Amino acid sequence: MTTILELQDVWKIYRMGDVEVEALKGLDFKARKGEFVAIMGPSGSGKSTAMNMIGCLDVPTRGRIFLEGKDIAHMSESQLARIRGKKIGFIFQQFNLINTLTALENVALPMIFQNTPKDKRLAKAKKLLEMVELDDRMHHKPTELSGGEQQRVAIARSLANDPEVILADEPTGNLDSKTGHTVMDFLRKLHEKEGRTIILVTHDENTARNADRVEFLKDGQIFKRHTR
Amino acid sequence: MNVDLFGYSLSNLAHRKMRSFLSILSILIGIMSIYALISFGMGLDAYVKGLAEEAGIDKLFVQAKGIGAPGTDENFFLTQDDADFIEKIRGTDQVAPLYMKAGEIAWKDEKKYRFAMGFDLENEGLVMETFAVDVAAGRQLRKGEADAVVLGYNYQFPLKIFKRKIAAGDTIELNGKELKVVGFYSEVGNPSDDANIYLPKEGFEELYPASKEKYGWMIVRAEKGTSADDLADRITERLRKHKGQEEGKEDFFVQTFEDALATFNAILGVLKGILIIIAFISVVVASVNIMNTMYTAVVERTKEIGIMKAVGAQNHTILLVFIFEAGFLGLAGGVLGVLFGWMVAAAGGGIAAAAGFALLKPVFPWYLTFGCIAFAFIIGALSGIFPAKQAAALKPVDSLRYE
Repeated sequence: MTTILELQDVWKIYRMGDVEVEALKGLDFKARKGEFVAIMGPSGSGKSTAMNMIGCLDVPTRGRIFLEGKDIAHMSESQLARIRGKKIGFIFQQFNLINTLTALENVALPMIFQNTPKDKRLAKAKKLLEMVELDDRMHHKPTELSGGEQQRVAIARSLANDPEVILADEPTGNLDSKTGHTVMDFLRKLHEKEGRTIILVTHDENTARNADRVEFLKDGQIFKRHTR
Repeated sequence: MNVDLFGYSLSNLAHRKMRSFLSILSILIGIMSIYALISFGMGLDAYVKGLAEEAGIDKLFVQAKGIGAPGTDENFFLTQDDADFIEKIRGTDQVAPLYMKAGEIAWKDEKKYRFAMGFDLENEGLVMETFAVDVAAGRQLRKGEADAVVLGYNYQFPLKIFKRKIAAGDTIELNGKELKVVGFYSEVGNPSDDANIYLPKEGFEELYPASKEKYGWMIVRAEKGTSADDLADRITERLRKHKGQEEGKEDFFVQTFEDALATFNAILGVLKGILIIIAFISVVVASVNIMNTMYTAVVERTKEIGIMKAVGAQNHTILLVFIFEAGFLGLAGGVLGVLFGWMVAAAGGGIAAAAGFALLKPVFPWYLTFGCIAFAFIIGALSGIFPAKQAAALKPVDSLRYE
C-alpha cells in the first residue's frame, strides 16, 4: 500500500511566557492508503497537537509532513486551507457544525469552498445524508438534532469533497456508548466498504479497537505500536 | 467569492435579528438625514436657478442704502432725477423705480402690516419679469388707477394672512383708504413676497404723499450686448459723480441679479454645508456601530470561523464573508434610509408649501437615490474591513478551541 501521510521527526514547541513547552518531540508517523489507524494516548500526551499537524490545522516547529509525497510542513495558511478542503475530512468530538445552517447546508458547505456548482453540491449532500441515514432530518438545524445525529452529519460533511484522509478526533467522546457504537460502525463501514483512509485520535481503548493499527503516544512521541 | 456564501452571510444577519436591526437603524438615520437634507438643498438650488432663468441675467438693482428693506429708511432714497440720469447712461435699456413702504392692511375686522409696492405701469413688463410673477387671478393694474390694488398670492387663501380669504372685487383698506382688489399675482414661493400689496405709482403717491419721488430701489435692464456687471460698474461711477459723492461713501449701491443670487447662494451653501456635516457625523457614528457589531460577531463566531477554515475556507473567503455582512447592513440601512428620507422630505415639503414656503420643495433625482444607497453600502463595507481582517487572520487551530 502506498503511503498517503507521513510525519518525520515533527516537533511542536509552544512558548508560554518564558517557558517552552514541547508538545511533540520528534514524532514519526505513517498512514497508508486505505488504512484505519488510531492514535491513542492519555490526556497531555500530544494527541491534539498531533491531530492538528496531521490535519494541516497547524504547522510544526520542526520536522516534515508529507501528504501524498508533498511536504506541507511550512506552507502558508491559504495553501493549507486548500489542502484541508480537498484532501482531509474532519470529524470532531464537539461535532463542530454551524448552527445557523441546516444539516444539508452543513454537509454542502465544504463544497462551496471548492466552487462545486449548487445542484451538484446539494445532490451530493443529500446522498451523503442518506448514507448516514439522516435523509429525513436534512432540513433540521444542528440544535434540533441529537448528539448522535449531529455526529453523523459531521461524518457526511467529512466526505463532501472525497478527501484522501478522514481525521476523526474523539468522535465518540460526546456520545453515550450506544450512539458511540453507531458512529463507529459508520466509520468502519467507510473503511471496509469504501476503502477510505481513516485516522482516529482517541484516548478510549474500545474506540481504538476499531482500527487496524493503534499507535500509542506518550510525551509527544510514539512509544508503542499495535497491529490487529 | 461563491455567490452562495452571500446566503450564508444573510442567514447570519437574520440569526442576530436585534443587533442587525439596530445597526441598520443607525445607518438608516444617517442616510435618511443626508437624503432629506440634500433633496431640500437641491430643491432650493433648482428654485434659485429657476428664478435666475425667469428673471434673466440682464437685470441689476440700484438700491438706496439704509437699514431694513429698501425704502423703509426715510433718510436714504433714490429720486426721479437719479432714475432719469441712469436711463441716459450708455448700456441702460430701461429703468423701473419702485416705491416700497410698510402699510396697515385691514380686511373684515383684522389688521396686518405688510409691504406695499408701487410702480409705474409703463414698466409693468420689467417689474413682472423681475419678480417672476404674472396675474394668477383677476386682472392687472392699470396706469393712473388710484383706488385699485393687486395682492400677493397668499391673500386668496383663508388663514394664510387673514382668517378669511380675499377675492377679486373685494374692497380692502390700506392705511385707512379703501381700495378695490382687482387681481392676484402668482406664487413667488416665500411667505414674505406672497404677502405684498401692489399699487400703481399714482395710487401709492396718494397713500404716501411724503414719499413722492423717493424710491427705495430701481430695477435696471441692460441693453442687449451690454454685460450687467459692466453696466453696474458704470452706473456706480457715473451716479456717484452725478450726486457729488465720494467713492465708498455713496448713499446707494448697485447689484446685479447674479450678485444678489450669489449672496443668497453663499448663505444657502453654508447652511446646507452645516446640515450635511451634522448628517455625516451621524453616518460616522453609524459606521462605528457597524464596526462594533462586526467585531462582536467575529468574537462570537470565532469557532465558526475555525470550522469554515477547517473545511477549506481560505482567509480571503472569510474576509469577504464579513465585509459582505457589514456592507449588507449598510445597504439595508441605505435603502431604508432613502425610503424614510423621501417620506420625511416629501412630508416636510408639503408642510412647507402649506405654510407658504413653496421654495422649500425637495427634489429626488435618481443619482441622489442611488448615490445615497451606494454610499451606505460602501460605509458599511469599509466599517467591516478591520473586523473582517481580524476574522480572516484567526488561526484555525485556535479558533476551533474557542468556547
